[in-house]
Amino acid sequence: MVRNPRRALKSNAERKVPAEADRAMPSDAERTVPSDAGRAVGGDGDGGGERAMKGHATQAVARRVLERVNAPLPMPPSALRRGPLREGAFRSRLRSERLTSVLGVALGVAFGVCFVTGLLSHLIQHPPGWFWWPSRPVWLYRVTQGVHVATGLACVPLLGVKLWSVFPRLFAWPPIRSIAHAAERASVAALVAAALFQVVSGVLNIAHWYAPMPFFFTTGHYWVAWLAVGALLVHVGVQLPVVREALRRRKDRPPEPGRRALLTGVAAAAGLITLTTVGQTVRPLSGLGLLAPRRPGIGPQGLPVNKTAVAAGIAVDAGYRLVLTGPAGETSLGLAALNAMPQYTASLPIACVEGWSAGATWGGVRLRDLVTLAGGDPERATVLVESLQRTGRYRASTLPPEHVRDPLTLIALRIGGEVLHLDHGYPARLIAPNRPGVLQTKWVGRITVRMPR
Amino acid sequence: MKTRAALVAAGAALMAYASIGLLVGHSAQPIGIAVFLLAVLVGHDLVWMPVALAAGLLIARCGMVARVAAVIAASIGVVALPLVLGHGQPADNPSVLPLHYGRNLLLILLVITAAAVVRKKFARPKRPRDE
Repeated sequence: MVRNPRRALKSNAERKVPAEADRAMPSDAERTVPSDAGRAVGGDGDGGGERAMKGHATQAVARRVLERVNAPLPMPPSALRRGPLREGAFRSRLRSERLTSVLGVALGVAFGVCFVTGLLSHLIQHPPGWFWWPSRPVWLYRVTQGVHVATGLACVPLLGVKLWSVFPRLFAWPPIRSIAHAAERASVAALVAAALFQVVSGVLNIAHWYAPMPFFFTTGHYWVAWLAVGALLVHVGVQLPVVREALRRRKDRPPEPGRRALLTGVAAAAGLITLTTVGQTVRPLSGLGLLAPRRPGIGPQGLPVNKTAVAAGIAVDAGYRLVLTGPAGETSLGLAALNAMPQYTASLPIACVEGWSAGATWGGVRLRDLVTLAGGDPERATVLVESLQRTGRYRASTLPPEHVRDPLTLIALRIGGEVLHLDHGYPARLIAPNRPGVLQTKWVGRITVRMPR
Repeated sequence: MKTRAALVAAGAALMAYASIGLLVGHSAQPIGIAVFLLAVLVGHDLVWMPVALAAGLLIARCGMVARVAAVIAASIGVVALPLVLGHGQPADNPSVLPLHYGRNLLLILLVITAAAVVRKKFARPKRPRDE
């Protein structure tokens, strides 16, 4: 028992780690895995000596596993090394570790921005108990989601050129050096697939082109974001020394004039994409938005629409009543009763998850007044707003107390002084500050006021 | 070294979390998502990349300015393609994809070409080995 592990340790120490296995990080794993495993087993032991012994045994096992994982696998017959697998099959001298590293850092930052803003949007729409989102500033969601989509679009040239710069590595020889190398390559494949998935599905989504995607966009985009970020962290962990080395030492390196031109081109492409699309949310640039899927001024009453009344299956008859339920019981209000209540106006943007936004001046009844009418306390109440729409993912939304008490939160009856267009939610719609457009329920039919217990 | 191990471990944990969500999460569609993941990977590596490399070889002689212009044009093309095809436009909602994207894309490509021509014409004289 005692001798075996020692022998294993010794033989392992004497063994030379193969140079190429360095990329798969044997040294980190060797350091962390045995100590953790040793601790876990040690906790179960009943004596100090036994504990140490067991620790050594586990260490030895872990070392043997790592040895196996990093052991070179047999070389495939060289006759198979054809086509792109040949040495020197890719000849462009523009490729370099430095180019790849610069693009990788930029792409990493861009993906980080997309992940954080995207996660935020997800949390606002599906808030867990711990989550809190303010109603001010009114423009915050407009900015975070605008940044999400703009950054995602700017990733197109970054990702394209980054993948081109590492494309020869797809045909590395031998394809698999060890089990650890295979695992690393699998994680890179997951990263590339997830990154392409996010960019392609995002581009399709803002163009409303859902047919090529055999899944519900929001769910797929959300979970694959976690996959992309996970694979990205693994990739950064593996490549960190290579990137550090490539970005260091500027003087003794021969200048690469092509690299600078290419990077300028990538930046220009990202800039041009931004310039021609960001007008969908930045009003002063709307004239330049030649490739913007939306234009803020275009739509009924000068405002774009995401779901029309026809698409939502809405037919409003003359007997419309808004059903209001709360601690005081249930009442129902016709349009005349709503118009007889104190009217307010609020200048608020519709900010869509798709990255476009447009401001408008809304007129109508304050939600907090309706809460008071229903016998609730507008400072503490939570409100469920339901649409006349019978089905659909976004037929209802819940307003937390921050939004209920905000005097800018309206059940809007008018837009710019005119009665709401049917596609904007006639006879009444919700409009609240700092909220995604999908939560600004249209064709409101029922409002339920809930007080905290 | 510890940083790298922590990054790899955290990344692997997030990948596991994503896999669980993709497989058994609320309204999960693992097959559709797996198909699309594979499709974009194979489409990029085995279709798009060979085409792009072949195009790159064809214009390699035109010099760096032309190649950079091609990269910019291709990037714009990817963003513009679904808009130009316009399959996403609902019949009852003219506020979705309201512009003439084909014409606009052409305009942008012309601007890129013009910029490349100007750039090439007025480029500083190069050392002989560069061209």
